[in-house]
Amino acid sequence: MFGRKRKIKTSDPLVRKLMDIVGESEVLFEKEDLVAYECDGYTMYKGMPRAVVFVHDTQEVSDVVKCLNEAEVPYIARGAGTGLSGGATPLGGEVIISLVRMKRMLHLDLENRKAVVEPGYINLKLTQSISDKGYYYAPDPSSQYACTIGGNVAENSGGAHCLKYGVTTNHILGLEVVLPSGEIVDIGVEGVPDLPGYDLLGLLTGSEGTLGIVTKVTVKVLKNPEGKKTVLAYYDDIDDASQAVSDIIAAGIIPAALEMMDQVAIEGVESAAYPVGHPRDIAAFLLIEVDGIEAGIDDQIEEILTVCKQNNVREVKVAKDEAERALWWANRKMGFGAMGAISPDYLVQDGVIPRTRLPEVLAEIREISRKYNLRIANIFHAGDGNLHPLILYDASVPGESERASKAGSECLKVCADVGGSITGEHGVGIEKSAEMRFIFTDEELEAQTNIREVFNPQDLLNPGKLFPQPGRCVEVKRANQDEVQLV
Amino acid sequence: MNVGEKERETVNLVSMLENKGPACETKTLGNYLWDDLPDPDKWADCVHCGMCLEACPTYQETGEEQHSPRGRVYLIKAVAEGKIDINEAFAKPVFDCLDCRACETACPADVQVGGLIEEARGQIRQAMPLTGVKGVVSKTVLNGIFPNKKRLDRLGGFMRFYQKSGLQKVARKTGVLNVMPSHMKEMEAILPEVGKPVLGRYPEEVPAEGESKGKVGMLTGCVMDVMFSDVNEATIRVLNHNGYDVGLPKQQGCCGALHIHAGDRETGKELAKKNIEAFKDYDKVLVNAAGCGCALQEYDELFRNDPEMLPLAEEFSAKVEDVSKFLYDNDFKRPESEINTKITYHDACHLAHGQGVRFEPRQLLKEIPGVEMVDLPDADRCCGSAGIYNLTHPEMAGKLLDRKIDDIPENVEMISMGNPGCMLQIAMGVEKHGRSEKVVHTVQLLDWAYEKDKQQVKS
Repeated sequence: MFGRKRKIKTSDPLVRKLMDIVGESEVLFEKEDLVAYECDGYTMYKGMPRAVVFVHDTQEVSDVVKCLNEAEVPYIARGAGTGLSGGATPLGGEVIISLVRMKRMLHLDLENRKAVVEPGYINLKLTQSISDKGYYYAPDPSSQYACTIGGNVAENSGGAHCLKYGVTTNHILGLEVVLPSGEIVDIGVEGVPDLPGYDLLGLLTGSEGTLGIVTKVTVKVLKNPEGKKTVLAYYDDIDDASQAVSDIIAAGIIPAALEMMDQVAIEGVESAAYPVGHPRDIAAFLLIEVDGIEAGIDDQIEEILTVCKQNNVREVKVAKDEAERALWWANRKMGFGAMGAISPDYLVQDGVIPRTRLPEVLAEIREISRKYNLRIANIFHAGDGNLHPLILYDASVPGESERASKAGSECLKVCADVGGSITGEHGVGIEKSAEMRFIFTDEELEAQTNIREVFNPQDLLNPGKLFPQPGRCVEVKRANQDEVQLV
Repeated sequence: MNVGEKERETVNLVSMLENKGPACETKTLGNYLWDDLPDPDKWADCVHCGMCLEACPTYQETGEEQHSPRGRVYLIKAVAEGKIDINEAFAKPVFDCLDCRACETACPADVQVGGLIEEARGQIRQAMPLTGVKGVVSKTVLNGIFPNKKRLDRLGGFMRFYQKSGLQKVARKTGVLNVMPSHMKEMEAILPEVGKPVLGRYPEEVPAEGESKGKVGMLTGCVMDVMFSDVNEATIRVLNHNGYDVGLPKQQGCCGALHIHAGDRETGKELAKKNIEAFKDYDKVLVNAAGCGCALQEYDELFRNDPEMLPLAEEFSAKVEDVSKFLYDNDFKRPESEINTKITYHDACHLAHGQGVRFEPRQLLKEIPGVEMVDLPDADRCCGSAGIYNLTHPEMAGKLLDRKIDDIPENVEMISMGNPGCMLQIAMGVEKHGRSEKVVHTVQLLDWAYEKDKQQVKS
C-alpha cells in the first residue's frame, strides 16, 4: 500500500485473523477494492470475494490455509488474473490468496538447464532474464507479458510454440505445494525427470487450483535455437489455408508454431495497437515459424513455401528481419485484447480438433455465428488443432451475453463431436464445467472428483470449478456474500 | 443502506445546495452525477485481458489489482454501473495513478486509460471537494500560482534571491531545512540555478538566423520557464539556428496539465481556451516539456462534451508538436563539432507513452558527433515525477526514483530527457544517491554543439 493510509474499518473477524498472519496492509476487504477482483480474464461470470490476502512465503500460505480451513471458508489462489476460463474468479464469498508478491527467482542452474521460481514470477521475465546467456523458457502463452508461472502450472498453459515444444507440463521438474490441509510437500526431485511411482507432477499441473497451492516451481530452461525463420501466407479461401496446415504437418515438418487468423480477427488486430498491414479482403492468413539448427531451416522454408503455393496461396513471404518477425508476432499475440477495438466484450473458446477436420469445423462455426447473429473471429494454433473462436458481443445489450454463452457452448459441442476436446490450454474453470459432459461420462467425472477428494476433502479450495456440480447452488453462495457485504 | 450510500447522499445534498440544486439538464451515468461525464466508449474498449498489468509502475510495486490500469478502468466502469459509490476508497486508486500512460503503450486495444482517469478525477473532485490543508495547498499552488504568470515570476524571483543572496547557503548550513519533509528537502538540494523567464524578457518574435524557413509558435511553460529558462533559451537558439522565426505570444499561459491531472477540469478548460486563443495565428506550436505537449495535444479530449469549443480545440491540438520531433522531421542541421560525452536517454512518460515520441530525440543525440549513447534499461518506466505526484505521493515516487537511478548505467556522464518534471526528479535522485551525472534536456546538447560550430567559424 502507499499514499495515505485509511483507517481499518471492518467487523469481519476473519479479516482480523488474516491480518494477524500477514499484516494489516496485506489484506483487502473494502468493497471498492474487492470489485477489481470480481473476475479474471474471463469476464462473463463475476463474483465478489470476501477478502484478498497477499502472501509472501510458503509458511504464510500454509498459515492462511490453516486459518481458512478452521473457519471453513472457501478460498482461491490467484496469480495475475489473466486466465480465460474463470479459474481465479470467485463464485462469491471466497477469500482470494494472491501470490503476486511471491515473485522471486530463487535459483538458476544453467548447467543443468533449470530454474526455481516462486509462483508469482512473470512468464516472460524468465526468458528475459536468461536470454543474454542464450537460454529461454519455452511455454509462451499470449499473456506471457503479464501472466505468472504459478498460474501457468494451474492451467497447464500452452502458447503459440507448444506445437513443437509442448505445454507447461512438459517443462515442470518439481513443485512445492501447500495442500488444503496446510501441509507443505515437495513433489518431484529437482532435475530428476520421470521418477518411479504415480506422476503427481502431471496430476498437479493443470489441476486448476483445486488440489493445492503451488509455492515453488522448478522449470526447464532451453538453449535458444540456432536459427529461426518465419513465414506469412495470405489466403483467399479458408479451406485452402486449412489444407495447407494439414499438408505441412503431413510433409513431416514440425514447425515451432503454425498459427491461423481469419478475416474478422484480422479486422480486429489491424484496428488495434500493432497493425501489420494485412490485406483486409483475405479469408485467412497463416503464420508459420520453423527453428532449430541452422542447416536444415532453409530447406524446410522452401518446402513450406511450396506447400502454400500448391494450396492456392495469394501471397507468401518470409520475414526479412527480426523487427518484421517481432511485429508479426506482436500482432498475433495481442490478438485477443485487440478485439476490444471492434467489440465491447468477447468470449473466447478453446476447442481442440483433429487437424484434418479444420475445414468442416470452421464451416460449422460460421453457421453458429449466423444462427446467433454474433460475429465470431478465429485466432488459433492451427498446427495442433487448437481453435480459439472469439465470440464478439456486447454485455450491455440485454440477452446478448446469454446468446454468446450458448454460441460458445455449441462451438465446443462441434469440437467434441468430431473427436476433439473442449479445452486445449485455457482450462475449464467456471466457463466450461457444464461442457465437461460433452467428453466425459458421469462415471469418468466421478473418478476425477474422487481424486480431488483425496487432496481437497472439504472442497474449500477453488470450489465449483472444473467439474459440473448440479448439487452446488451458486445462488446460495451469493446470498451469503450479500450478508458479508452488509457488515 | 450501507455506509457508502449514506456518504453519497450527503455529498449529493451538499453539492446540490452549493450549486443551487442539480442542473436539470445535467445527464448522469450510474453514480456519476456531475457535469463532464466519463466516456463509456473508453472502457468499452477494455476486455480485461491484463496485458497492461506489468507495464504499470503502481501495479509493479503493489501487485494489487485496483492499482493496475485494468483494475482502475474496471472500478471507473463499476461506478457507472452503480456497483460502487464515489468515495475515499474509490478515489484512492484513481488518484494513486501516475497518469504515466505506460498502460496505453502496452494495451492491445488502445484503451485511453489516461483520459478515463482524468475524467473520473473530475467527477471525484466535484463529488468530494478537497477540504482542510490539502484543499488550501491545492488552491494556492494550482489555482493561485500556476495560472498566474506574475505570481509565478515572483516565485522565480524569490528563488533567485534565495540562491544568490546567500540565504540558500545559510539555510543549508543552519539545518533550517531539516524541518521540511525529507522529499521536500531533497528537492531543495537540487534546485537548479534559477534564471530569468524567457516570456516577457524576449520579444514576441525572435527572428531566424539567416533566411527564414517559416514561423513557429513556442510554449514557454511555467515550470520550464521559471526553473529551466536556460532550456527555453537553448530551444529558441536551436530553432533560430535551424531557420525558424520563433513566436512567443505573451497571452499564453500554463497548459493546465496539472489541474486536469488533479481533477480540476474547469480551470484546465479556462487555461486551454487562453492558449488556443494565444496561438491562433500559428500553424505550429512547439513544446519542449513533454507533459505540457501531451496536455495541449489532448485539448480536444478536454472539450469532448463542448460542441462549441471542440472544433477549435481539435484544430489547435493538431498543431502541437514536441520540439525534438519537429527538428528531426524537418531535417535539422547536423552539428559538425564534437561533444565528446557518454550519454543515456530517459523517456519522459508523456513523450514516449503520451505522444509516441521515442526515436526522434535519440536520433538527435546520436547525430551529434562524439556523442556515445548508452541504453538505459526500461528507459520508458516512470521516474516518479509525474507532474506533482512526487509531492502528493512521496513514498511511491521515491521508490520509482530509486529504481530509475539504479538502472542508470555506471559509466555515463549525462542523462538526457525532454521534460522539466523528470529533470528535477532525476537530478534529485542523482544527488540523493551520491552520483555525479549531469541532467540535461535533449535540445541543450544540440545547442551546445551548434555553439561550438559557431565558435569554430569565428576562430
